[in-house]
Amino acid sequence: MRIPWPLYLAWKQLFPSQRKISFFSMLAIIGVALGVNVMIVVIAFMQGFQQKFRKDIINAQGHARAISLRSSSDWRQLPPRILEQPAIEAVTPFLQGQLLIQSGAYKSIPFALGLRPEDGDGVLPLGDFLDRGMLRLQAHDGEDVTPLPTVDTLDDGSVFVSSQVASRLGVRPPAAVRFYEENATRSDRGERGDLRVLRLDPYVESGEWEIQADENGSILVSESISGDVFPWDPTRGPFDLGFGYPVFEITGKEVSLDPGERILFHVFRASTIEVFSPNMIEKAKADEMVPPKEVRVGGIFEVPWQGFQMEALIGTMRFMEDTRGEEGACDGFYLRFEDSVARNEGRLEDACRELEVMLEEDWAVVPWFVENAWFFELLKFEEYLMVLIMVPIGLVAAFAIAIALMTTVLRKIREIGLLSAMGGRRFSVGMVFCLQGFIIGTVGAILGCGLAILFIRYRDVLMTFIVENIAGADGHAGVAQFYDFNSLEVPFPWESNESLSVFLSFALFSILVSTFAGLLPAWRASRLNPAEALRSE
Amino acid sequence: MSEEKRKLVLEGKSLSKTFRLGDGSIEVLSKADIALKEASSMSIRGDSGCGKTTLLNLLARLEDADEGTIGWGGHEIDASATPSSSEAVMRARFIGVVYQAYYLIPELNVLENVLMAARLAGGVGSESVERARSLLSKMGVGDKEKQAPAKLSGGERQRVAIARALVNGPRVLLADEPTGNLDERTGGQVMDLLLDACSEQGTGLILVTHNPIFAQAADVRLFLRQGKLTKDFDEGTTKWSRPRFCGYHYPGYR
Repeated sequence: MRIPWPLYLAWKQLFPSQRKISFFSMLAIIGVALGVNVMIVVIAFMQGFQQKFRKDIINAQGHARAISLRSSSDWRQLPPRILEQPAIEAVTPFLQGQLLIQSGAYKSIPFALGLRPEDGDGVLPLGDFLDRGMLRLQAHDGEDVTPLPTVDTLDDGSVFVSSQVASRLGVRPPAAVRFYEENATRSDRGERGDLRVLRLDPYVESGEWEIQADENGSILVSESISGDVFPWDPTRGPFDLGFGYPVFEITGKEVSLDPGERILFHVFRASTIEVFSPNMIEKAKADEMVPPKEVRVGGIFEVPWQGFQMEALIGTMRFMEDTRGEEGACDGFYLRFEDSVARNEGRLEDACRELEVMLEEDWAVVPWFVENAWFFELLKFEEYLMVLIMVPIGLVAAFAIAIALMTTVLRKIREIGLLSAMGGRRFSVGMVFCLQGFIIGTVGAILGCGLAILFIRYRDVLMTFIVENIAGADGHAGVAQFYDFNSLEVPFPWESNESLSVFLSFALFSILVSTFAGLLPAWRASRLNPAEALRSE
Repeated sequence: MSEEKRKLVLEGKSLSKTFRLGDGSIEVLSKADIALKEASSMSIRGDSGCGKTTLLNLLARLEDADEGTIGWGGHEIDASATPSSSEAVMRARFIGVVYQAYYLIPELNVLENVLMAARLAGGVGSESVERARSLLSKMGVGDKEKQAPAKLSGGERQRVAIARALVNGPRVLLADEPTGNLDERTGGQVMDLLLDACSEQGTGLILVTHNPIFAQAADVRLFLRQGKLTKDFDEGTTKWSRPRFCGYHYPGYR
């Protein structure tokens, strides 16, 4: 293939035969590459944040909410009908309201949400929220072995509170600490069985539980405060005395303890909080004595979505009915749609509209992106603002390229004259400089995209390095918690069309801008009179 | 080839050119006529600034004349018209140029510089690479084809420039003071190469020079004075019969 001579010469002027790269080319290409890299990384991270918020919102609110416009007591027949819709995977009813809760002298007015524990994690991943909110005690000679609270432990006498409520009131769910003998190692016991607390329900009382194996290997479980002693055969299953007692089990292949081995657990009961509802306050105004409802704290949750109420409480539907004094009420349903529908906002909106038609005029079905449109508009605005800030950076780079190429034209005036004398057309002579801009833009864009891929690939390592060097190790923990970089899903261009379009847009932008930067020098070169150029000193 | 059988390759008729300088003007060419035959050489001498380079530029159609016509191998061109793109394409094959300052492209090595002329004339094939290598060998710089121009001496650079001017097999070679930057010995060597190559290829050569010895070596010797081309040297001066500038034949050389 014959390469057009302007392209050949443009390439050679940037990458001369005697050297791998000229100093000017290196600076120009690095400038473009860094610009493209920064633009892509910033926008990719913004999109990563959007993706994260989208996921968090869906987790906190489901794909859509069906909101009751009129109070109705026959809502119980609706979930099966809703589930008949082909696009809907799960549905869970809810009741919501504002409550006043108190523990000792501390008070909070959280947003309260009533759910059906039997619906589990079908729509809202409560298990994940409880996992995120889990607090661990720290002890010098002990280890917090509290099992993760589960949704099925929620009942009418217990609630889950958000971590903000827990810290405001100073309340916590039940906890278990395993104490170690002095000099005992905590190393993995390998094949030998180890003891763990399988379940702590909200009604467990505080106590010291000792589990020991006698010389024959028989195991006895004793509670030292009450003095109760229970035999336990671990081969027949976990040690479970029912609600109100901790459940122990031996894990591992050997379901036994060593003869003479003794393991000590301290169990701490859950905090109790007093709940006042607006209904109770109304009754109190009417001189009706209504004692506050006492409930146990079954777990602490944390919803990653910042738009979710910071001070929140989750109880059962019946708990909410009691506090509101409205039996059989339902404020609406959280809905989860099939992935194929949920991924496409248009399809999801259509599915919501179809459901609305089915439910008739008593219900409004609002998809998540409509309910949170304000937030995404804000994020989009922020993204546009970023682009607006970064585009001038690209233009500054273009000016630098234009000035450098212009200088080259002035430096090479006689060479330009020679090219004309040797038969080069003026347009082709000008193209040499325009193509240099194009090559700088293209090579810079390719390098910039490569750098961006590397940055995205090693973002955690790089962010840790950068933040730790600026803010130190403690600062890093704070920044990581606040921005949550490590959990950001920033897709590579081959993984998502959105990411691909970001890469292509900025690469194209840099190529166009660099090529335009070469236009003025090219015009200047093509306008030179060859005879005058050859005469110039 | 006898003088009569040689075809006319370059012709300028009634060429006039005036430069305007402020309120005044300088007439550098006034109805000048010039004709060059194939495989022949022509020298043009003249005082500095008399218009020698302008004449070459007009003949190469790098600038327009005020009036006159130019013939490139029978193709007549209005010299007063603005040079066109099609003429540039034609020039690449028809005319080779050599300048005093060599004008080699610093980013290209020696071979690439020579092949640049071939690229401008349509592209580089194995034939043109072979031809470029052969010309470089003939010019005595065959072993330096990978070197950068900056690493060559002035004489070597001018040899490369001559090879570049001849690589497309042009019918006319315009040499504007090709020995101006060189010492006498190197200049002599370059002149030998230039004259040899032109006679071998049948290329017509117009040599602009200040050096009377080199000028005398041309078949036709002209002097440009006040815009007119006249015969150079006194009547009866014998042309050097194929002098060798290097060695004992060159009177100025010791």
